[in-house]
Amino acid sequence: MTNPEKVFVVIPAFNEERVIRDVLLKLLPFHYNIVVVDDGSMTKLDSLLKNMPVYLLCHPVNLGQGGALQTGIDFALRNKAEYIVTFDADGQHEAAEIEKLLIPLQEDKADIVSGSRFLGTESKNVPAGRKFLLRSARYFNFLFTGLLLSDAHNGLRAMTAKAARKIRLRQNGMAHATEILSEIRKNKLRYAEVPVTIHYTAYSQKKGQSAWSGFRIFFDILLNKIFR
Amino acid sequence: MTGIQVLLISGVVFILIYYISRFRNALFDLLVLAAFAGVGIFFILFPEYTNVIAKKLHVGRGADLLFYSCILFFIFIIVKLFARLRRLEDKMTELVRRDAINEAKNMDNSNNPG
Repeated sequence: MTNPEKVFVVIPAFNEERVIRDVLLKLLPFHYNIVVVDDGSMTKLDSLLKNMPVYLLCHPVNLGQGGALQTGIDFALRNKAEYIVTFDADGQHEAAEIEKLLIPLQEDKADIVSGSRFLGTESKNVPAGRKFLLRSARYFNFLFTGLLLSDAHNGLRAMTAKAARKIRLRQNGMAHATEILSEIRKNKLRYAEVPVTIHYTAYSQKKGQSAWSGFRIFFDILLNKIFR
Repeated sequence: MTGIQVLLISGVVFILIYYISRFRNALFDLLVLAAFAGVGIFFILFPEYTNVIAKKLHVGRGADLLFYSCILFFIFIIVKLFARLRRLEDKMTELVRRDAINEAKNMDNSNNPG
């Protein structure tokens, strides 16, 4: 059991003012350091988060989830984090499962751990269209990065500070999920997957990724390959 | 001179003048542009020569050759532009990130009135 103060939970948030407080309230009992990165939301989170023991960083313009994540990670590293966890702001993730992701890191069996909704536990709630998209996306990721994970796009991850220092997310948009895989490969980091539960609520469904964003991601990655 | 020749030459001259008035400083660029303008005006006045070149390259007409060359040229320009945009985006990200981290607030001890 690690000192929770050494764990920094980075939460990128874009227009999540409806649920962010509830999400944070569920996280607070675990006493991790919480870093909310407001990625240029229309409603500022200052008043909503007043007097909560969290850090609030603000992007004046929207960069994208990847950009917000990297900002949060940089901040955590600056504040001497030992473990960094990424967590979604929309309530899809479960605070209690963070512990599960930290175990392989603490046992030094992996440098970065990803949650997966397809590893046996409940994948019954996954909407059919989304399931298909994600299942195909993992092969797409494999094509581009050589790594085949069971869940192509899971925002719940944990990494050691050492791993975080090696990873550089230059993709500001959603393509960061693929980029992080190629960074893992490039730096020869050990990765593991752990089954997690994803809560699909009406709210998070509405905000979820459309099929169109899949195309956008594809082009981002393709162009990234060419220009880097 | 035919109508289209007047039109095209005016276009070239206009671009040249606009460029001179806006970007005086880059002499080298100006020379390159003037060279292109000169070549352009030459082929506008004597389009038959494009056919000569085209025949050597086994392309049907001079206009076709010009068309193909333009496509390549535009693709090149677009690629360069995209790379430039990417670099700009990276720079902007750096600025936004640096500010965000420096202005980070600990909401617990925040003395902000709101």
